[in-house]
Amino acid sequence: MLLEATDIHKTFQEGRETVHVLNGVTLSLARGEIVSLEGPSGSGKTTLLSIVGCILTPTSGRVVIEQHGVNAQHQGELARVRRQYIGFVFQQFNLFPALTALENIEYALNIKGVKGAAAQREAQRVLVAVGLAERLHFLPRDLSGGQKQRVAVARALAGNSPLILADEPTANLDSVTGGQVLEMFRALAKQENRGLLIVTHDPKVRAVADRVLKIEDGRLI
Amino acid sequence: MVDLARKNLLHDKLRFVITVSGVAFAVTLIFVQIGLFGGLLDNASVTIDHLDADVWVTSSKTPNIDFAHLFPETSVQRVRSVPGVARADNLIVSFMFISLPNGARENIEVYALEDFNRWHFPWNVVQGNLDDLRRGRYFFLDESAARRFGPFAVGEYREVLDYRLKIIGTTREALSFTTTPIGFMDYRIAQTLLGREWVGRTTYIVAKLAPGADAKAVKAEIQRRLPHNDVYTTAEWSRQSRSYWVDSTGIGFNMFMTVLLGGLVGIVIVAQTLYTSTMEHLKEFGTVKAIGGSNGDIYKILAEQAVISAVVGYVLGLIPAFALVPAMAKGGLKLVITPELMLAVFVGTVAMCLLAAMVSFRKVATIDPALVFRG
Ligand SMILES: Nc1ncnc2c1ncn2[C@@H]1O[C@H](COP(=O)(O)OP(=O)(O)OP(=O)(O)O)[C@@H](O)[C@H]1O
Ligand SMILES: [Mg+2]
Repeated sequence: MLLEATDIHKTFQEGRETVHVLNGVTLSLARGEIVSLEGPSGSGKTTLLSIVGCILTPTSGRVVIEQHGVNAQHQGELARVRRQYIGFVFQQFNLFPALTALENIEYALNIKGVKGAAAQREAQRVLVAVGLAERLHFLPRDLSGGQKQRVAVARALAGNSPLILADEPTANLDSVTGGQVLEMFRALAKQENRGLLIVTHDPKVRAVADRVLKIEDGRLI
Repeated sequence: MVDLARKNLLHDKLRFVITVSGVAFAVTLIFVQIGLFGGLLDNASVTIDHLDADVWVTSSKTPNIDFAHLFPETSVQRVRSVPGVARADNLIVSFMFISLPNGARENIEVYALEDFNRWHFPWNVVQGNLDDLRRGRYFFLDESAARRFGPFAVGEYREVLDYRLKIIGTTREALSFTTTPIGFMDYRIAQTLLGREWVGRTTYIVAKLAPGADAKAVKAEIQRRLPHNDVYTTAEWSRQSRSYWVDSTGIGFNMFMTVLLGGLVGIVIVAQTLYTSTMEHLKEFGTVKAIGGSNGDIYKILAEQAVISAVVGYVLGLIPAFALVPAMAKGGLKLVITPELMLAVFVGTVAMCLLAAMVSFRKVATIDPALVFRG
């Protein structure tokens, strides 16, 4: 199994109040599988994604990625797991405005330890794969929303990260563009055998998902 | 490696210009301050550094070359008899009044020797023949006197201590620490002008060593034979004449304060712009962390930006400093920028900018990568 999260709890301390955001979530994801996670606003989707993405530490519960138990107490260990196993796609794209499309991906590869010409080749490969062969040297400000999200998808796919996590990847895109990005995303994930977890409100995501999970009040239903 | 640090820095051109201008301003300020200080100190020992002697004998407790005291001139015989001394002569250094054509009286500082050529002194003769000084009531006057006292020409007469002397030559760069122009005349003439008190007395003995002689040993032997005088090597005497002015006036402290302030201005400007820039890029740094970057990766970005700002600012600050050298010279001020100074200021500038970057380090360390999911 690519990802196994078992009995995840997460509480936040808001002043004197303890907010229970996740109340024992268990989920798993296989390579080549596309799962959509739906739920009302505030139900804990982003929190869950952050925990399986090794960005947040769960209050209790266990995250195992490719048979490796993640020691969530150690920041350096979390960063290493992110470098090695995980690619992210954000609602706001989060591209570096001063870097071209190609450089954005190269830089992410550099962080993951892929350097020089190898990084350049891989960046080029994924950009071509998402249909941006003509836009390699464009700065984000010169790209449309859909194109920016394609760059972000390419960045998540670059390298060999088996687990791709996307938070509302279509929320900032119009319906047609969102649909196109999702189709492409699905095709690439399948083709390259990556596991894909998409958090969303967008009903179009169901169309590309192999499985749909629903969360409410911090529980899967 | 994709150079995110440089690209981010140049992405906001206005901010970059402000940062670099701040650094350049501080660098220019520091160069001018230290350079002027160095120029002044150069004057404090310029004659010592150029006169071709290895050992100087002064009266006891003479604080610097300009504040000379008298002692018997016959001491020179004892110096000449010390093994290892090739030659030794008396040297008079004294301030003298000079009367100007308009009736005003001003000061010049006179250096008097029996044989100037023997000591390769003065070092920068513009007009005239030094051997002629021996022939009568003549003197050489430094060109800097023209700026202080009005124009003069070789062949004209001036009253020095109420004696009429003919100007028979001119020099360049011969001024005292207090920028008093220097004149050169024969040793006996100077004694005559200075009056009864000076008969048979001198202010310094300068000595040249024989090839291969050990300066320390000769110095010790002279000191043994002249226990009531002080004896210095040229380097020691030069250093003493400089440090006198640093210790006894506020110029050392003044320079130190201005350099400190210049450094502070630079640090504050760089720290301020780097910090604002960090705040504006928090989300990007969060993204760097989310995709697996460490605090170290982000520190490296900030440090690189600091170093780029330092290097560009340094170059832009050095150019006006060099451009000021001739302008200052016209105003009679010497601005000395040595390679050692350039290196020291460069290192200081980089250190200053790195220090400024550290203000942002703490902010970076607290960045929560989870912020990448927030709107
Ligand atoms: N750092 C935090 N501190 C305190 N409370 C938090 C924190 N992060 C999230 N929460 C709370 O946890 C709950 C779930 O938040 P989360 O962002 O996971 O919801 P979501 O399902 O992604 O919602 P949306 O669809 O609006 O994005 C919310 O009530 C939120 O206020
Ligand atoms: Mg959310």
